[in-house]
Amino acid sequence: MVLFVTKSVLILLTLVIQSKIMIKRFLGLEWKQFRRASYFQKGIAIKILLLLAVLYFGGMAIILGGVMFFGLKKLFPDIDPIVMVNNYLIYWILFELMIRYFMQQLPVMNIKPLMIIPIKRNTVIHYLLGKTMLSFFNFISPLLLLPFSIVLLFQGYPVANVILWFFALMCITMSINFLNFLINKSNTVFYGIAFVVIAIVALRYFNIFDITEPVGEIFNGLYNQPYLAIIPLLIAFGLYKVNFDFIRRGFYLDGAISKKIKEVNATDLSWIDRFGSVAPFLKNDIKMITRNARPKQVVLMSFFFLFYGLFFFTQKVYIEEMPYLLGFASIFITGGFLLSFGQLVPSWDSEYYKLLMSQNIPYRQYLESKWYLMVFAVIVAFILSTPYLYFGVDIYLIIAAGALFNIGLNTFITLFGGALNRVPIELDTKAKAFSNTNGFNPTQLLIALPKMILPIIIFFIPYHFISFNAGLIALALSGVIGIVFKNFFLNKIEQVYQKGKYKTIAAFSEKK
Amino acid sequence: MITTSNLSKKYNGVSVLHIENLDIPKGQSFGLVGNNGAGKTTYFSLLLDLIQPTTGHIKNNNVLVHESEDWKPFTSSFIDESFLIGYLTAEEYFYFIGELRGQNKADVDALVSQFEDFFHGEILGQKKYLRDLSKGNQKKAGIVGALIGNPEVIILDEPFANLDPTTQIRLKGIIKNLAQKQGVTVLVSSHDLMHVTDVCERIVVLEKGEIIKDLATNEATLKELEAHFAGSEVI
Repeated sequence: MVLFVTKSVLILLTLVIQSKIMIKRFLGLEWKQFRRASYFQKGIAIKILLLLAVLYFGGMAIILGGVMFFGLKKLFPDIDPIVMVNNYLIYWILFELMIRYFMQQLPVMNIKPLMIIPIKRNTVIHYLLGKTMLSFFNFISPLLLLPFSIVLLFQGYPVANVILWFFALMCITMSINFLNFLINKSNTVFYGIAFVVIAIVALRYFNIFDITEPVGEIFNGLYNQPYLAIIPLLIAFGLYKVNFDFIRRGFYLDGAISKKIKEVNATDLSWIDRFGSVAPFLKNDIKMITRNARPKQVVLMSFFFLFYGLFFFTQKVYIEEMPYLLGFASIFITGGFLLSFGQLVPSWDSEYYKLLMSQNIPYRQYLESKWYLMVFAVIVAFILSTPYLYFGVDIYLIIAAGALFNIGLNTFITLFGGALNRVPIELDTKAKAFSNTNGFNPTQLLIALPKMILPIIIFFIPYHFISFNAGLIALALSGVIGIVFKNFFLNKIEQVYQKGKYKTIAAFSEKK
Repeated sequence: MITTSNLSKKYNGVSVLHIENLDIPKGQSFGLVGNNGAGKTTYFSLLLDLIQPTTGHIKNNNVLVHESEDWKPFTSSFIDESFLIGYLTAEEYFYFIGELRGQNKADVDALVSQFEDFFHGEILGQKKYLRDLSKGNQKKAGIVGALIGNPEVIILDEPFANLDPTTQIRLKGIIKNLAQKQGVTVLVSSHDLMHVTDVCERIVVLEKGEIIKDLATNEATLKELEAHFAGSEVI
């Protein structure tokens, strides 16, 4: 084993030296790609906003990591914070794996032009894998754990243990990074991991076996016997090697780094035909969502919105003193899909917008089908939100009123906002973290405001002057009014879309 | 069928298309040729109301194209890949268009089955999404998609490009059949002078956005076109 490591380290070193010049050139190309990419040429305001967002989240992570020690100490005075962290580390790792699976963009390099010029394949592959190490996702753990480790050192924990523990965790982060690549490329690995994750959660849920303790033992062992840090290091190297071989084997045009051609999975959607004239569009939208990476991501995100209420309903302050803010929360619970999918409405069809505009399609039907889709999503989310009954009937009623508001008014506001959104979307590429500025422009923000503030106002006024129930009724009623005036709203929105038609077509056909 | 009057398109003051007058009667197979930037695609885009004319208008069967949507039921087109839906299979795409044009599955199947020759076994039953097909096969699917639903006007932008020789010849047969036997008005643009002269009864040459030749096709047409383009190349 040791021999293998020394050997691979040696090979790596020689390769690094050999390919240093080449890598420099690759970096030059990457820089150009970055500088000349369209998202970089966005307005200065958006750049500043993005920078602020990065700073904010980075800062949050650092602060969180810094205060974690003291927080844990206060909450669980009997348990050493490091033991506590170690016990729950496995969930963080699983969480990170999941987030990465859905969000992390795989390293794709345009290998075609590189295949025929004299560069060693190994160089290209090392570069490609090296590039993934700089992924945004690899910085989350260190941002959290570095301050935590520093606090540990200041608290007088043994230096060697802390440093090597931190090092071991970084190796684990790298392992996750490379593992994710394999999961994405191979279904067997994906199902294997998915099975393990489900098994762990199920065993714990049914109180059969709690993995937290034994796994915690392992991480505690890593901390107590610092020389064990060699194991994660070996795992990281091993996974690197597996990835390397995997890519090496498939380094052809139709190989591992090229886009995968997927087998068609056709499902029978004829039950949708009962929706009449909007049925073809609905069927198409469902296929669009299930067959493309980007919309799948959005659907997943909207699923997470379901849990938004937990932030509010677990706090007494909101329930007793500011119930009007609960209306705000309820909008998000049932409106996740509506908000995240709906705000990009014509953009989802940007790849074939010209077809839609010249085919025998009235604009009205197109918009109506999107409306039905959003309403359907709100209803599904509402059904899924039934467990909130646990927090009481009042809470559940407010979610119901929020759902009505979403169906009756938010759908139309969102569709209207879509008319002002002319950013083309590449359907089958995952959005990159922090480079996804689609739909992130001042107009979009302005449109987003009423979606969030309106429900608060509608709820607050009757609540303040009459009662809680009056607020509920007002919020629900506003949604009903929207449904009653559906045709009127759709006609108005259609006019806005018609007016912007040529601009939208031109924007969508711009090369990405 | 299609009348164009005083039509012009300018981008930032630069004129890219200017057509005083052009009448295309019903059932004509009409060819548009010209070098890159001559305005062929611009003209087709105006015909489909994808861009707005700076001046003038096009009437398609007496419908003002940029004011009413009533031309859509009897007009169909394939301009480029943005007329394909990448995540559908060819069959699903045909059925989708069929549904938009009021055709049921059986109608679409019947029509599509006539083109099995043309598809050469590479389109139907492939279990592949359109985005994963080769350029040529995408084009085949797009062209047949444009024939669904008995359109009276069919617009094809460079239909011959990217097709293999066998398919090019078959496509010529299809276009001729549409215009001569079924009375469909077919508008085609191409860089291949031979194919256009083979297929079209009438050929219009565009240069820098203006019509400079309007020919009824005969034996001498190909020579004339070749001479014209060879000449303008020298200059």
